[in-house]
Amino acid sequence: MRKNMKKCLAVLLTAVLAGSVAGCGDNGQQSSGNNNNQSSGDNSGDTQSGSGSESKDTPATSGETIKLTLWGAEEDQDLLKELVGRFEEAHSDQKFDIEIGVESESTAKDTVMTDIEAAADVYAFASDQIADLVKAGALANLDEVGAALSLADKTLDDVKSANGEAAVEAATVDGKMYAFPMAGDNSYFLYYDSSVISEEDAQTWDGLLKAAGKAGKKVGFTMASGWYNAAFFYGAGFTTGLNEDGTTTMDWNGTSPDGYTGVQVVQSMLDIAGNKAFMPMADGNGSNLIASGDLCAVVSGTWDAKTVQDVYGDGYAATKLPTFTLNGDQVQMAPAFGYKFVGVNAYSKNVGWATVLADFLTNEESQATRFEQREIGPTNLNILDTDEVKANIAIAAVTSESDFGVIQLVGGKFWDPVATLGENIAQGKLSADDEDGIQKALDTTVEGVTAALE
Amino acid sequence: MAGQEAKPAAAAVTGFFKAIGKFFSNFGNAVAKGDIFVKLSLLWMGAGYARRKQYIKAVIVTILEVAAIWFTLTFAMDYVPKFGSLGTTEAEMVFNVETMQSEWNDYDNSFEILLFSLFSFVVWVAFFVFWMKNVMNVYELQKKDEAGEHINTFKEDLHDYVENKFHIVLLTLPVLGIVVFTVIPILLLILVAFTNYDQQHMPPTALFNWVGISNFISLFGGGGLTVTFGYAFVRILGWTLVWAFFSTLTTYIGGILLSLLLNNAKTRVPRLWRTLFMVTIAVPQFVSLLLVRNFFANTGIANTICSNIGLVDLLRNIGLLKTNYIPFLSSPGWAHVMIILLNIWIGVPYQMLIATGVLMNLPADQLESARVDGAKPYQIFMKITMPYLLFVTGPALVTDFVKNINNFNVIYLLTEDVFVTTNQAMANSQAKEVDLLVTWLFRLTQDYYNYKMASAIGIVVFIICAVFTLFAFNRMIAGSREEDYQ
Repeated sequence: MRKNMKKCLAVLLTAVLAGSVAGCGDNGQQSSGNNNNQSSGDNSGDTQSGSGSESKDTPATSGETIKLTLWGAEEDQDLLKELVGRFEEAHSDQKFDIEIGVESESTAKDTVMTDIEAAADVYAFASDQIADLVKAGALANLDEVGAALSLADKTLDDVKSANGEAAVEAATVDGKMYAFPMAGDNSYFLYYDSSVISEEDAQTWDGLLKAAGKAGKKVGFTMASGWYNAAFFYGAGFTTGLNEDGTTTMDWNGTSPDGYTGVQVVQSMLDIAGNKAFMPMADGNGSNLIASGDLCAVVSGTWDAKTVQDVYGDGYAATKLPTFTLNGDQVQMAPAFGYKFVGVNAYSKNVGWATVLADFLTNEESQATRFEQREIGPTNLNILDTDEVKANIAIAAVTSESDFGVIQLVGGKFWDPVATLGENIAQGKLSADDEDGIQKALDTTVEGVTAALE
Repeated sequence: MAGQEAKPAAAAVTGFFKAIGKFFSNFGNAVAKGDIFVKLSLLWMGAGYARRKQYIKAVIVTILEVAAIWFTLTFAMDYVPKFGSLGTTEAEMVFNVETMQSEWNDYDNSFEILLFSLFSFVVWVAFFVFWMKNVMNVYELQKKDEAGEHINTFKEDLHDYVENKFHIVLLTLPVLGIVVFTVIPILLLILVAFTNYDQQHMPPTALFNWVGISNFISLFGGGGLTVTFGYAFVRILGWTLVWAFFSTLTTYIGGILLSLLLNNAKTRVPRLWRTLFMVTIAVPQFVSLLLVRNFFANTGIANTICSNIGLVDLLRNIGLLKTNYIPFLSSPGWAHVMIILLNIWIGVPYQMLIATGVLMNLPADQLESARVDGAKPYQIFMKITMPYLLFVTGPALVTDFVKNINNFNVIYLLTEDVFVTTNQAMANSQAKEVDLLVTWLFRLTQDYYNYKMASAIGIVVFIICAVFTLFAFNRMIAGSREEDYQ
């Protein structure tokens, strides 16, 4: 509502401006709305003939200053400034006016989709947003605009082969690539205090809870979030998927290809959540809780690495997610494995140069700088292979999961119902003995998740 | 009583329509009886002024007329013809490697069509009224001329606006502001409620169009795509009203009791106490509420204390709890009570201020005579203080209730990220038990881009508030009761 109002006002003001600009003469270039499309069409026509006479091979548009906006996380601002400086150096024959704005990767979708035409030309976002962004037409199809990369003397195939296969696959929707992989550590794993929990105990939930119970401490896990609790279901072989119309598919109320039923998974989760040493965390409240020192082990991501290190000191250790007991077997939890991407706005005025910039921000050199300065896990294969990356405990733990991690493909309707399922488990509202009740809860969850978008 | 109250309201409504009718009949009269120049003013608005030698006015209205025509041709005509369909051409683009730019087709943007059409309508209505008024003015001039009266020069007219019609000068800017910043957004909100503007139909990439009243049908449980929407709506509406009632009542009573306590002669250092209570106002709400939210989180300090003194285990043992913590803000019953209690802490100081002010103005003669007659303090409170307070603060109470229906801050800041519903039917409609209509609406737009349903809910909230306010004000400020306290 509020945003909408703001948008209305912005549009109204632009309307007034557009009116006045158009009034001065009928060649208003930057006026809003439909006029704009025609005029930009005219522009490109002109430039096309101009550059065409110069040379056919190099798409050069020098002379004009290229204006670009770039959105990145607040913590990345200094890094981005440095990288943009290098970018301008690398293309010194072209004048740029690049503006860097603050927009968290986790909320990029909300801001971009409020007004796509006014959003940044290049922006960083978390991989779980890619489906909605593509659906809204907010991302340029790189297979189409990737030809612009010839300015950086490379092709889109170079980008694809330089980065991990899984990362490229996550950036691909319906067979078309829509974003450049930037970081490969957007997942969660197990931190533990090795002075309380042995390496062996850290391998299973049973061992963890037992050791924690003995020490009078707790194990933290975010049960009420579809990002975390899905790891149990993915581990048991269940899946989620995304249809072309933006709806989600989900099979958690049935039987998985591995032969486990959804009911059995929920029973296992109830078993864990009912343990006195289990501590359900609120989404996004991890750092507070870790700092309190009550937890001897916690499932979280690289963003908490520093906090955990401070609390655990010499006992600081990290490893892949533990296994859990499912119908008598030990089953490996499979985390929702996410990436961070840099995308190009399809409505950018300079979509070509925006693509070149997005590629530059995610190339090998930039990823190396990003790891050095911010300890962010890379997706570039060469950098993943360096000793420095391998020596980083948290990043080593998260990258070790890429083999069994699952790229979580879901639509917007996934989150609330699955969070509610997790909350019901965390609060013990479901009973492990009541199989019908669990089945019904799973059916309702699937119904809500797979509902048509209204 | 009710009949009497209805009369002024009905009179106001009929008066309004009569005024409109009179405006039109005046216009007709002016056109019929005006001379050739008045009639010519229908086409060229400056004609009448030019005939009466008001040349500057003639130039000004001519410029305005040209501007209106120019606006219509160059701006409005781009959008208004598409208003019926809200656009038909979807966006398509081709990337041109040579220019490094995308080439777009001439696509339609439904939202811009809707907004700019609405803007055009408003401009047209304003211009139409101005145009009619112009003809009437010119006719007045003709009459003055015929009667041989003095016709103002432009300077005299300007002088007139400063001397006699200053209210018009004063009000122009605020009215313009209200139209642009309030009327147009509200009309837009109303229009969106009748479209399918949602995540599936997001401009500029996709188009949306008119769907009639189907959003309201699904809001009230009429089925369609949203099975649980009606279910969630009824429950949220219920909690919204319960919340508004209790939060208003508790802070009101709390505020009065507190101010009575502070005003009591036996209270020592009342100023200190009053200042202490005011501190909650001084700290911005979102800071204090977020802090309190963390105190009462499942893993917060309140829970740590409760579990250290054994309260959590006690509750667990007697079967009131199934969790390792007390779900102060994360389970429906607990959260509802906690929110109302926390709101007392936030809201009481305001009410205390109001009540203190009113108590200082209690009619001393009445209190004195009551005391002489031997009334006990309790009787004085019930018979004099309370009725007087209710009378004076009645209107404020009504506004408080409406404000609480839309009390976004308290609910959102206390429950966002903390409260996860366990009711699956609610979750399937992106709702929570603790949501007010306004917070639900916020998340629908902010997180799910469901603008059409948010608009429909917005209209419902508006209707509820408007009806309640009208009804309550008519009751409370009934003219007859005023004399009781004169």
